[in-house]
Amino acid sequence: MTDIDRELPVPFEQAREVEAFLLREARLLDDERWDDWLAGLSEAIHYWMPGIENRRREDRSGPYRLEHMAYFDDGLRELQRRVARFKQPSAWAENPPTRNVHLVTNIEVFAGAEADEYVVHSCFINVRSRGLDEQHQISGRREDVIRREADGLKLLKRKILIPNAMLLCKNINTFL
Amino acid sequence: MNEIIKLRPIETSEPLKNLDRICDMESGRMSGKIFWDKDIYEQELEKVFARCWLFVAHESQLPKAGDYLTTTMGEDEVLVVRQKDASIRVMLNACPHRGNKVCFAEAGNARGFICNYHGWSFGADGGRLMGMHESKCYEESGFDKSQHGLRQARVASYKGLVFATFAEDAPTLEEYLGPMTWYLDVMLDMDEGGSEFFGGCIRSTIECNWKIAAENFVGDILHGGWTHDSAAKAMLGGPVTNVGELPESYSVNWNGHGYEFATDVVGNAATLGEREINKYLHTLRPKVAERLGEFRSKLIGAISSFTVFPNFSFLPGQNTVRVWQPRGPDKIDLYTWVIVNKNAPQEIKGKWRRGAMMTFSPTGVFEMDDGENWEYCTKTSRGMVTRYQDLYVGLGMHTRIDDSELPGNVFRGQLNECNARAFYQRWKDLLQSPTWADVPDRNGKMR
Repeated sequence: MTDIDRELPVPFEQAREVEAFLLREARLLDDERWDDWLAGLSEAIHYWMPGIENRRREDRSGPYRLEHMAYFDDGLRELQRRVARFKQPSAWAENPPTRNVHLVTNIEVFAGAEADEYVVHSCFINVRSRGLDEQHQISGRREDVIRREADGLKLLKRKILIPNAMLLCKNINTFL
Repeated sequence: MNEIIKLRPIETSEPLKNLDRICDMESGRMSGKIFWDKDIYEQELEKVFARCWLFVAHESQLPKAGDYLTTTMGEDEVLVVRQKDASIRVMLNACPHRGNKVCFAEAGNARGFICNYHGWSFGADGGRLMGMHESKCYEESGFDKSQHGLRQARVASYKGLVFATFAEDAPTLEEYLGPMTWYLDVMLDMDEGGSEFFGGCIRSTIECNWKIAAENFVGDILHGGWTHDSAAKAMLGGPVTNVGELPESYSVNWNGHGYEFATDVVGNAATLGEREINKYLHTLRPKVAERLGEFRSKLIGAISSFTVFPNFSFLPGQNTVRVWQPRGPDKIDLYTWVIVNKNAPQEIKGKWRRGAMMTFSPTGVFEMDDGENWEYCTKTSRGMVTRYQDLYVGLGMHTRIDDSELPGNVFRGQLNECNARAFYQRWKDLLQSPTWADVPDRNGKMR
């Protein structure tokens, strides 16, 4: 968790630019523009969604840890592999396609540890539908580090926390 | 052990009629009704899950006295607790006062458990009743605490795997697993330090019948080359190995447990796309050959899958371990863990943790196509006509090898539904048997 007293605001224009970056990312995912989505990631990306443990408050293990099994604990190679499956004509479970809506909200942009970085908090709701009557919804909170690189803003780190200690559906066949 | 149970248990209910007409493994036919029918499901809870030895934990999850975890046996909620004498106890996670859940955390360390409702408190040492809120009024009414506690299960371990059963008349775990332990050793005992679970548990929900998932791991590699084509191309850059062309492979089963395997050493492991893991297994293999013999050293990460009847499964190589927890005829909770050699380098363990995540977990590129198939294998049976359509389970009839030196019932080739037939036969035998003593021995007879 970040130290709430040390959050430094950034100029409005920069905050707006970061916000636009996140909203565009959501649209790329909804449109299955996988390569454009990958292009928005830093080569040094760590994309992390830990499994959540249902432990007591006094348990110092906490609800999640880096060493715990995760839904995503990916670098660029892993994310590219996931995209490679989505793009296979034999990805049977994606044809007919899953239809996605990614809502992004509660966006807060702060200055990062480095001059060209931002720490960005946001919340999301992802609604997916398959077939005629399947609908799955995942919501959660994200903490990103977004960095300005030579060709624009890139996602350097993402931590995704869902409230669920058990995923209430069969898979996560999208990015969050 | 269950001296605290005072009411007479309900007698075994009558077996359902006509099971032979919807599940006939002699002819390799069954119908989708067994995946959909609520009466059949209730029978399964009673005659399969309340009877069989069920996997509850790996010993490595509970290193210290007082360490506990919660899980389910069938739909029964249980607490698994490491004791001061290093033994492990398994007990119902339900208060014997009004039945409320006693422990709500999935894991932790505790000296005891206190029910939220009326404060009934239980020792970690086997769930003895210690006291309660307003205990004086109980004492005044002549209440005897020693006659109350959390109901205990029988517990036994095999090389780190902890199993439990509530059935007094069940055979011992050793008898229950039988010769299949020879094959379990490939995963559990390939290295002198033994195995451990690494990185906790990931849980998800699949809207499928539990048997479809268990059957997939008991002996269905047939689906691999087709279902998982996209994942293999993503992870390996090419299609799945053509299993039909592997020079030597087998299916083995015993009392409904089943293992199908090739002898290609790293076929499963390769799908993780981590060179270091293949290297680790190849380097370890000569030592495994000394330990378990040349034959089993060829199985340590081979194309293979395993189900211990009824609902505990794993994949060597990907090292993903799972329980298909039944939640009604059309739903499972899937608990997934990663198993590694205790003595493996930390970095290798980490690669397996990520590798299992990438392949066989709710975000795994392989599992996505499985979940979809299993859900619709289940859901189509809501149609009355579909429910009685013949489903063919006859692949590999007459492939039995009667003179094999390998343990169990041995069949030629992995592309074979003999393990599925043995699984469903055992399932039906249990549903038709009033007691454990009535369960027929089919070993040596199944085709």
